[in-house]
Amino acid sequence: MSAPASTASLANKFLGAGLAGLALTAVGLFVSDPHGVALSYLIGISYWCAIAIGMLLLIIIHHLTDSGWSTVIRRQYEHGVSAFTWLAVLFVPLLLSAWLKPGFIWPWMDLAHPLHGGHGTVGQDVLYVKKAGFLNQGMFTGMTIGFFVIWIGLSALFRKASFTQDRDGDPKWTSLSRRTAAAGVVLTALSLTFASIYWMKSLEYHWFSTMYGVWFFANCVRGALAFAVFITVWLYARGDYKGIYNTNQFHTLVALAFAFVVFWAYVTFSQYFLIWNANVPEETFWYNIREHGDWLWVGMLLLFGHFFVPFLAWLVYRWKAERRPAFIISAWVAVIILVDICYNVLPALKDAHDEPLPFLSINLLWVLTSVVGVGGICVWSYLRSLATTKLIPIRDPRIVESLTHHEAAAPEPGQVVEGAH
Amino acid sequence: MNKTYGIIAAFDTTPEIYQACEKVRDAGYTQWDALTPFPVHGLDYAMGLRRSKVPRFSLAGGITGFTVGMGFIAWLGLSEYPLVVGGKPMFSPMFAFPVSYELTILFTAFATIGGMFFLNRLPMHYHPVMKAPQFVRAMDDRFYIVIETNDPKFNATATRDLLVKIGGKDIAELEA
Repeated sequence: MSAPASTASLANKFLGAGLAGLALTAVGLFVSDPHGVALSYLIGISYWCAIAIGMLLLIIIHHLTDSGWSTVIRRQYEHGVSAFTWLAVLFVPLLLSAWLKPGFIWPWMDLAHPLHGGHGTVGQDVLYVKKAGFLNQGMFTGMTIGFFVIWIGLSALFRKASFTQDRDGDPKWTSLSRRTAAAGVVLTALSLTFASIYWMKSLEYHWFSTMYGVWFFANCVRGALAFAVFITVWLYARGDYKGIYNTNQFHTLVALAFAFVVFWAYVTFSQYFLIWNANVPEETFWYNIREHGDWLWVGMLLLFGHFFVPFLAWLVYRWKAERRPAFIISAWVAVIILVDICYNVLPALKDAHDEPLPFLSINLLWVLTSVVGVGGICVWSYLRSLATTKLIPIRDPRIVESLTHHEAAAPEPGQVVEGAH
Repeated sequence: MNKTYGIIAAFDTTPEIYQACEKVRDAGYTQWDALTPFPVHGLDYAMGLRRSKVPRFSLAGGITGFTVGMGFIAWLGLSEYPLVVGGKPMFSPMFAFPVSYELTILFTAFATIGGMFFLNRLPMHYHPVMKAPQFVRAMDDRFYIVIETNDPKFNATATRDLLVKIGGKDIAELEA
């Protein structure tokens, strides 16, 4: 088994697409409503952060549960999380806006920001004043830096342990990663929850939901699993995974994605159901504005497209075990996660009558340029990292177990390292 | 002698039983089984078995459970005993959802267990292999193939020859 064939030219194409997307987004700030463009950029960052966080979580869960089957796929997550460094760089403009133009993106940063309906300003709003210790620029900046320190730090630890083990084969790296994962699961859970609260939920700071972090977590893992399907199908089609990756591993991966379809539906429904049932105005307004105009149909699209379509499709064994249908469904999921984030962010844009601006608008173009822009950089980072190591962690203690997942004709441990198949 | 149920042959290792199953499968037999002390991954494939039909029972159970939950709550609220609770409508799929969801799971579980019993013809209190003294080792350290006489391809001599050829040991006829 050799190192993967060169991906340098492909990586450069993604870098080019990323830079073009970012440039177009920057142009958008001058030719379109800058507030809409800024929120679109926030969506682009949040979307790709979600996928990278999901990959970090899958590494953590792999180590915590001492998994066997996912060892062969884990290396791809380790390449994926290399994007955190670039995501941190790409977040800088948002942090700058918080200090240079407070209230531009997050209204609570500007105490003089008027409330709709002549109810004074943010600074006079009791619902802000009670939260002021949490919602202020210093906390926002410090916490955001903290999130990226946690994500970049954990990613670096996992990557170093795994890549070094390729060379020295020492099992101590596996137990070290397990300990990193034990601390990391708490840090990642807290940081992704607070990130979703600061970046997205606080756009409408009156609202609160204890399910918000869990909702974001569900999207993180669903996004990462969708990209794991893309990556494995791509590596298989390229020939790298031939003889390494079998139907059982693929089926198990997609079955996990299927489980998270149900999990996403469970938490998203609970959030809606508890707010619907309690019927408290401070909470229901958030859903009320999302029943205005075309947002109602976006909500319906999420209900059916984010849950029912992938749920019913993946009840079929063949569509979990075969590459083509699993790829198509994963692609649909990857798109609908973006719609879900739009549904959470974009209604913060209001017209003069405090009604949300429609979903179908020029802002979708800026969402597209932002997603391509940030995504191009992330994929470029992944591809660059992919070229630097072996395709799979060949000296991981569980690699043989992973390669022979549910196969009777299991090769002996000594045979698999170099091209046994 | 009583009617013969089939022929049993023993194998000592998992690779042997795995390859023997492939050969019995390729010889075109359909009414036969492999007995192993523990699950052998991939043996279903080597035996040429199709995927289980149990999921169809599960799906039917799930749909029934969901429909029963929604239907029962709708019937109760709209017609049998209309009662306003917390200012909510007489019926809404929102509050009916948690119960319907639980019933989906419950009925799916029932249908899965029931379907498995039905397809395996369980409970089965007697099986001819239990009469073979060597069968006890199928629960310990040996592997067996049993080819039944009601298989269309069964032929007392040819089948026995096949089992010998693929490495079967202690070949014996089983009383029905």
